[in-house]
Amino acid sequence: MGIVKEIYNSVIAGKVEDAAGGVEQGLSSGIEVDEILNNALISAMDLVGQRFAEGEIFIPHVIWSAKAMQAGMDLLKPHFSANNKSKSAKIIIGTAQGDIHDIGKNLVAMMLEGAGFEVFDLGVDVTPERFVEKAVEENANIIAISALLTTTMMSMADVVAMLKEKALFSFKVLIGGAPLSEEFCEEIGADAYGVDAREAVTKVRELLDL
Amino acid sequence: METDIFNHCLPRFRLLDDSQIRRIHHSVLRVLDEVGVRIHHNEALDLLASHGARIISDNVVQIPSFLVEDAIASTPANLVIYNRDRDPVMELGGGRIYFGTGTDLPKTVDLKTREIRDTMAEDIVVSTIISDAMPNIDFIGSYGLPKDVRPGLHYIRCFQLETENSNKPIFFTAESKEDLAVIWEMAVSIAGNSEALARHPFLINYSEPTSPLTHSTEAIAKLIFCAKNQIPVNYTPALLAGSTGPVTLAGALVVAVAEALSGLVVHQLTNKGAPIITGVAATTLDMLEATVSYTSPEYRLTHSAYADLFHYYDLPIWGTAGCSDSQFPDLQTGAEYAFTLLNAALDGTNLIHDCGYLGQGFVASPELIIFANEIIDMVKRYMQGFVIDTDHLAFEVVKRVGPGGNFLEDEHTRDFFMEEHWRPTLFNRKNLPNWIRSGKKTVNDKLIDKAREILKSHQPEPLPHELKKDLDKIWDDAKKKKRR
Repeated sequence: MGIVKEIYNSVIAGKVEDAAGGVEQGLSSGIEVDEILNNALISAMDLVGQRFAEGEIFIPHVIWSAKAMQAGMDLLKPHFSANNKSKSAKIIIGTAQGDIHDIGKNLVAMMLEGAGFEVFDLGVDVTPERFVEKAVEENANIIAISALLTTTMMSMADVVAMLKEKALFSFKVLIGGAPLSEEFCEEIGADAYGVDAREAVTKVRELLDL
Repeated sequence: METDIFNHCLPRFRLLDDSQIRRIHHSVLRVLDEVGVRIHHNEALDLLASHGARIISDNVVQIPSFLVEDAIASTPANLVIYNRDRDPVMELGGGRIYFGTGTDLPKTVDLKTREIRDTMAEDIVVSTIISDAMPNIDFIGSYGLPKDVRPGLHYIRCFQLETENSNKPIFFTAESKEDLAVIWEMAVSIAGNSEALARHPFLINYSEPTSPLTHSTEAIAKLIFCAKNQIPVNYTPALLAGSTGPVTLAGALVVAVAEALSGLVVHQLTNKGAPIITGVAATTLDMLEATVSYTSPEYRLTHSAYADLFHYYDLPIWGTAGCSDSQFPDLQTGAEYAFTLLNAALDGTNLIHDCGYLGQGFVASPELIIFANEIIDMVKRYMQGFVIDTDHLAFEVVKRVGPGGNFLEDEHTRDFFMEEHWRPTLFNRKNLPNWIRSGKKTVNDKLIDKAREILKSHQPEPLPHELKKDLDKIWDDAKKKKRR
C-alpha cells in the first residue's frame, strides 16, 4: 500500500500517531505537499463527513478522524505554498455574550476543523466587540456564534449590527443553537443558520461557495 | 498496579421471598392432593392411578405431593432448542430470556389498507419473513390463524409456511393429535429421522389445559404424543381471575400452577426426562367488557410470582410479553409493549411469546413484530447494567478533562461510547428542525416502511429443494385424507 493511501486510512480510522507518522514519512520521501493534502487528508475527511451524514459512524469517530487530520496538517503547514494557504478558510467561533453553554459550539468547532477549516475558538461569553476584533485581526471569512438561551441570542444581532456599522461586509455570520430558527436568522440579518453541527459544515461550505 | 475486582451492576427483580414461594407451593400441592384435577383421558388416568394417584369420581384424580415433586425432579432444567441446521439457538433455563411471536390471531391489520380483515395464509408468510429478519425474535409462532385454510389443516399449513420462510425454531399449535402427528412427520423429514429430531429439536408444541383444573382429551393426547416422541412441549394454562379461577391473585396463581404441574406429572410419567416448558398465564376478566386482558398489572404480578416459583423448581419457563389489549397500533400499544417486555425480562422467563399481539389475542399487525424487536433491544441494553471499575469510574479522565472541559473529545469517550450507549434504530432522536425536514415521520410510519422494505429485500435461508418437495407431499396427503 502506498504511503498516501496509508495516511488516508489512518485519518479514516482516527489514528492520530499513524497519520502524523505517515505525513512525516511522505514528506521525507519527497511526496508533493498537495498530493498529501488533497488525496490523503482532505479526501479522507470528505469520506468521514459523508459516512457521518449517512449515520454510518458517530460523533467520536469524526472527532478522532479530525484530530488525525489536524496532526497531519500541522506537519504539512510549514511546507505550504501561498497557494495552499489560501485554500483554508478561517472561522472565528464562540458562544454569544452572556452564554456559557458550549457543548454545541465545541462540536461545531471540531466538525469545522475536521472539514479542513482553520478555526479560532474564542470560548464562551464572547462580546460582539471581541468577535469583530478577532475577525479583523485574522482576516477571517466567517464568524460563527452559538447560543442556548433566548436571553443571549439577541447579542447575535449586535454582532451583525456592528459589522454593518463598521462597513465590514466581507465577514459572513453563521448562527446556531437550540432556541434559534431560520426566521430568527432572517430577522437579525445573519447570513446562515445551521440546525446542527453537520449542517453548520454544509452552511459554511455554501457561504464560501465551496 | 491497581487491580479491580469484577464489579458489574445488573437490574434484578424478585417478587416473592423464599417463605412466600414455599407457602404458595404448599397450597398448590394441597389443591392437587385434596381437590384434584379432572382429566378426560383414560390412558392418563390409568397411568396416574398406577403410580399412586387416587381417582375419586367422574374423571377427577387427586395427585399426591410425591408425584409432583418427582415430576419436577425428573424434568430437564435446561432445554436446548436448535434451528434446522442443528445450531443451538436457545438454552431455555435459568434466567435466560428469548423472545418470539405468538400464534392463532384470526384478524390482521392490513399493511397497505390498514383495514382490520381476516387473516390469510399469505399473512403467515409475511409475519415469518419479518420475524426471520428481526435479530431479537428468537423463535417463530404462526402469528395468524389463516381463514383460507380449513380447520384441521391450518396448523399443518402454518408449520409448512413457517419452515419454508425461516430457519428459526418454530413454536406451533395443533388442533389435535392427528394434525400434530402430521406436523411431526414434516419435522422428522427435515431432521432426517425421529432420533435426530429428538436430539436436535427445532420445534416446540404449545398446548393448554383448561381452567379451572381440567385437562381435555385433546390437550392430554397432544401432551402424551410430545412426551413419547421427545417433542419439546409448552404446556401452560390461561386462567381468568374471577371467572375460571379465584378472583384473588394468590388463589388464581395456585390454581393455575396446579394445572401446569398436573400436566407435568402426566408428561413425566409418560416419559421421564422428556423436554417440557412450563408456566402459567393468570390474568383478569374485565368485569365490564367481559374480555381477557393480556396486559393487566395483575397479570404482570402473577407473571413475576410464577417466574419466582418456577425458578425455585428450576424448570424452563414460558413467558408472555409484547402484547396489547388495543385493537389498533396506537399509544396504548406502545405503553403495554414496553411495560410487559421489561417486566418479562426482569422476571427472567425463558420462552417469552406473544410479541406483536394486539386486540387481546385476536388481532395481528405485522409491523408490530418490528416494534417489539426495537423495545426488546432497549430492554436488553437495560438488562446489561453497567461496570463499576477503575476504567469505568474514569477518575483519571475526570482529572484530565477537568471543570469546564469537553469529554466528547477525550479518547475515553471514543473507546467506550459504542459499548456503553445504546442507540435506537427506529425511535426518533432527531431534533425538531431535522425531524420536520425528514418528513415528520412517526414510529408508526417508520414501522410500516420497514415492514415493506423487509418483505421486498429480506431473503430467509431457504429450505432445501428436496425437503420442500417432501413437505409438499405430506401436505398433499393430509389434504386428501381430510377430504375423505
